[in-house]
Amino acid sequence: MGKLIRNTVMVSVAAMLSTGINSATFADDLTLAISMRSLSNPYHATFARGGEEFAKSVGLPFEVLVTEGNSEKGLADIRALISRTNGNVCINVDPNDSPDAATIVDEAKAAGAYVVTQWNKPDDLHPWDHDPNYVAHMSFSGVGTSKEITNALIDAMGGEGGIVAIGGILSNVPAIERKLGMEMAVADTGGKVEILDFQPADWNETKAFEIMQAWLTRYGDDIKGVWAANDSMGIGALEALRQEGKAGSVPVVGIDGTEAALSAVEAGEMAGTVAWDPTWTGGMGLSLCHAAATGAIDIAAEPHAHREFYGTGIVVTPANIAEFRSRDASFDYNDYWAKSTGQIQYQ
Amino acid sequence: MASINLRALAPIGVFFLLCFVIAVFSPNFLSVSNAIRILNASAIPVVLVMGATFVILMGSIDLSVEGIVALCAVVTASLVLNDTTGANLGLWAVPFAVLAGGLIGAVNGATHVYLKVPSFMVTLGIGFVCLGIATAALGGFPVRISDRGFRALTLGRSLGLPNGIWVAAASVFVALIIQERTRLGRYVYAIGTDEITARQSGVPVERTRVLVFVLAGLFSGLAGAMAAAQLGQGHALIASGRLFTTITAVVVGGTALSGGVGSVLNSVVGVLIVVVLTNGMVLMGVPPFVQQGVQGFLIIVAVSLALDRRQLEVVK
Repeated sequence: MGKLIRNTVMVSVAAMLSTGINSATFADDLTLAISMRSLSNPYHATFARGGEEFAKSVGLPFEVLVTEGNSEKGLADIRALISRTNGNVCINVDPNDSPDAATIVDEAKAAGAYVVTQWNKPDDLHPWDHDPNYVAHMSFSGVGTSKEITNALIDAMGGEGGIVAIGGILSNVPAIERKLGMEMAVADTGGKVEILDFQPADWNETKAFEIMQAWLTRYGDDIKGVWAANDSMGIGALEALRQEGKAGSVPVVGIDGTEAALSAVEAGEMAGTVAWDPTWTGGMGLSLCHAAATGAIDIAAEPHAHREFYGTGIVVTPANIAEFRSRDASFDYNDYWAKSTGQIQYQ
Repeated sequence: MASINLRALAPIGVFFLLCFVIAVFSPNFLSVSNAIRILNASAIPVVLVMGATFVILMGSIDLSVEGIVALCAVVTASLVLNDTTGANLGLWAVPFAVLAGGLIGAVNGATHVYLKVPSFMVTLGIGFVCLGIATAALGGFPVRISDRGFRALTLGRSLGLPNGIWVAAASVFVALIIQERTRLGRYVYAIGTDEITARQSGVPVERTRVLVFVLAGLFSGLAGAMAAAQLGQGHALIASGRLFTTITAVVVGGTALSGGVGSVLNSVVGVLIVVVLTNGMVLMGVPPFVQQGVQGFLIIVAVSLALDRRQLEVVK
């Protein structure tokens, strides 16, 4: 109870201060921050780096908050940041779990801070219901991109045969969406491609390695392709194939676009991966948040497609890897929706 | 040790029963190629339990396994031909990884013994420190290995078997010698059975404890090098899930968490049970959401069969 009262007092003080110093000095005092699960995986490390680059470009202080997979810690850190900055803060957050997004938005709104969320939020929480503090939600179409990468796998298999599929943690939203997309693409072949087995490996490459070994015993040469819901598990499966001298002869696909997977695509050992753009989600998420906070755009007047949108996932295969490597990955921080591929759809 | 009773053979019984049941449902299970796959998947866990068994026999616990393996995998990957550093030590990176593991084990042991911090907390903390170092050193990115010669440590084959299996077999041999033929091995049992009596009989308890943690670190370091060779990279998350397998395998094999009872050979059987279980459930087509439940249930059954209750006066 004491903590609640203290928090309420701090939040109201923060709110008073932020209204007091509103327009004129607002931008000068702004802090930019990124919050995500951990710095120990390439996706989030690049996400944070994208945010840092934007912060440098506008010369504002930048902070990284890490949840370590703990929602309580994530929320406590964000609360502390909001009160420390008196609400003068833009946070680009990848919430640890969907329900966390609602709490973060409430806290930000009460203190006058600005928030952009990534990937996880409840379906019925929308930025336009929390103007102007909840600036936007960015995500990638799990179903659509998974369908595309599965089609790339089916192409590499010559259009028919059995595949084995390795999924992520069964309850994770991206794991569910990616599995659905894979199943839809397989269904579209009208029975030419068959899913021999589906096993979750919890995003873990060692687990994927062991499951792939068991599959080699169970199905042997009937396995014509391997689908993995992320690149780590794809690499785990690929290494199990390598152990049997089968690397490169059975096509494997993954999702995420990690450097290991891209190199495997180059070497012809993987048939494809989907490259997200964490530099863009990190940098552009903060840029949009910053623009809304400083009044460069009137976010409340923007259409819904500019408030909840998908980024671009690029399907990288041996056919376009060279082009992908040499592409111009830079983007204009002020061209907020250039890489948007449409408003988020709910299944 | 003269009184060999049925309990001591229980883990082996559980293992054969498991194999029999799986083979009934899936005849492929008994193929030579699957046996090799199972041994191959067991290689890294076997190396890990060689260290963990001594620690548990002593009545302590080592929770730093994942941290040490990850950090040593990163050390190994950075010392062989890779995409991040300029080093190219080839297989000579392995002794460095093993030494690094031993060093961390020494920190575990010294902190535990001389600061009198329970091994549970020390190793948990040191494990996190190692993961932190691995994360900070790499900034979240993996070090990818391009040295094919080094990767032969697990990918290559000798006499028809993957080299990883030979490395694991050598580790078992070394651990067995330490357990049966050295003072250190006998001291471990003495301390695990009754530390006060052991101390009064002149067993150098402090030194033994530190040495056992060093030993566990050495094996974890070797496992780290093997993990790097197997997956072709080193990164902070490479060992996730290893701790659970390690401790489960030791206990399923019949080594008591309270100390004093068990052996490294038991732990080898324990690893085989855990690995065969994972392999078998995929072979039998057990639905994924049932697998974890079955695994948990069978582990409890295996432990309750394997434990020799007459030798256990206290269960914590």
